[in-house]
Amino acid sequence: MKKLFTIISLIIVATLVLTACGGVPKAKDLLTEIQNRGTIVVSTDPNYEPQSFLNTKGKRPADTKCPSDTLTTAEMQGFDVDAAVEIGKRLGVETCFATPSWDLVTAGSWADKWDISLGSMTIKPARAKVLYFTVPYYYYDAVVAVKNDAGITSLDELSGKALCVATATTYEDWLNGVLDLPTEDILAQPPANVTVVPLDTDQECAQAINVGRTDFVGYVTASTVVAANLAQGFPIVQIGGPVYRERLAVAIDKSASLPTDTLLAELNSIITTMHADGTLAQFSIQWFGVDLTQEPK
Amino acid sequence: MSPKTPNTSGSKSQADLIYEAQMRVKSRFAIGVAISWIVMLMLLVFLFSSTNIALGSFTLKTIHLDKAFIQENIAFIASGVEVTIGISALSILLATFLALLAALGRLSKFPPIYAISTFYVSLIRGTPLYLQIFFFFLALPQVGIILPGLWAGVLALGLNYGAYMSEIFRAALSSVGKGQREAALAIGMTPGQTMRRIVIPQALRFAIPPTSNEFIAMLKDSALVSATGFVHELMWRATKVGRAQFHNLEALIVAAVFYWIMTLVFSYFQNLLETRMSRGER
Repeated sequence: MKKLFTIISLIIVATLVLTACGGVPKAKDLLTEIQNRGTIVVSTDPNYEPQSFLNTKGKRPADTKCPSDTLTTAEMQGFDVDAAVEIGKRLGVETCFATPSWDLVTAGSWADKWDISLGSMTIKPARAKVLYFTVPYYYYDAVVAVKNDAGITSLDELSGKALCVATATTYEDWLNGVLDLPTEDILAQPPANVTVVPLDTDQECAQAINVGRTDFVGYVTASTVVAANLAQGFPIVQIGGPVYRERLAVAIDKSASLPTDTLLAELNSIITTMHADGTLAQFSIQWFGVDLTQEPK
Repeated sequence: MSPKTPNTSGSKSQADLIYEAQMRVKSRFAIGVAISWIVMLMLLVFLFSSTNIALGSFTLKTIHLDKAFIQENIAFIASGVEVTIGISALSILLATFLALLAALGRLSKFPPIYAISTFYVSLIRGTPLYLQIFFFFLALPQVGIILPGLWAGVLALGLNYGAYMSEIFRAALSSVGKGQREAALAIGMTPGQTMRRIVIPQALRFAIPPTSNEFIAMLKDSALVSATGFVHELMWRATKVGRAQFHNLEALIVAAVFYWIMTLVFSYFQNLLETRMSRGER
């Protein structure tokens, strides 16, 4: 029995070690690796219509090169998705989508599980410690929305109330007073003494209000999310104007095992071209009805 | 009075009558249970029918579900069923293997092996499954082991259930009488042979019904694997379409129905298995 146990333990250890050492020889940098592979794995959060959501009618093509735990372009849709597919095309590779939870993306240390994040991520210094950011590919404002019969019309009236945000977002930072954006992008200070209720995504906040929960009076999110919530007929109203501007960019993990400088340069040049030739503006009008790709003055 | 004759036709013997009466009680009970189930099921469906009934000044409200959303997305959510069953099946295989090792280790007289086994069971049972799933997803890449999301999930579920199931296996192994072992040793079997030929076959009869019970529990715990976002099983599909289209409740209820149906099907097989295993009983 002892011998059997030892042998089995040895086999398990050996398998783990071999798995660790296995794999094809690495390319000289991530860009070359992506081109050799013929796929770029993009993380995006399919919780948000119209940015990024599942195409439930889409079928995975049989000839796809995407890894089995990623989704193909046929299974996803939205503004971020179209932008990612276009970037893939211009790199000459197939785009695949990984769908890790948002806090895993912003935390960095992706362990090479996906190559880039294209998921409406706001550029901010704290994230820039673990991630490289490209130039912004579009812009929107953060806004506050409350239940329409809450009788609240200004930010000041929110002091002492509870507000909902998605966890690990800039909205959470803003409410906590630790938002580290350039000062010219911050347009309003958060109300005093608010209780912050962090949920998994902004969509939980909106739905909680819609079904009649009263744990918080409102939520902080992107203007695009509020627009989508209003379009859905949710009983909410936006109060005041934008509270800060968000510049959304593509991110790359600083701890990637291959050098990423060439990929970053290539992405910057592709995004700049997509701004110049109107591709991004066209996607924006298609999904949001307005052009969100012009830098705010 | 006619003389006593063997009862070949016509009137029934007293034994037959008693037997039939017992059967009637049994089938009446079964019918009663079935009717009650149907009534409760109808009540449950009514609860989600979105009808509002006015009773004087009081209105009885039921829960509203968007039927168009359900029709639109049911096929997409349902395609997660096979992934859920796949993860659970792979995990239960790994768990069975680990549980057997841990149970045997627990019976070992060699201190390090006994210690490995108890340490493993204690560590795994002492931490939440949800945490373990993230651990394998986040920690293993640091030592260069990058498992696809599915395998990280299977590893976490397998290790977790292995620890719990080792207790089942240990109980099953020790349920085989000491006399059986002694007899096997007395006729010259080695300890290994005794285990393989005498103890394990008898222990399995006790271990299989609770193991299938664990499998049914795992079908539902596999939902936790969706948390990392890389395994597109039932729960993942339900939360993603639900969130993006603002119909979390509908999506989760669709998932709940599928989980329940899976459980019903597997419980049925478990019953068949248990009946079969108990045939050896005397």
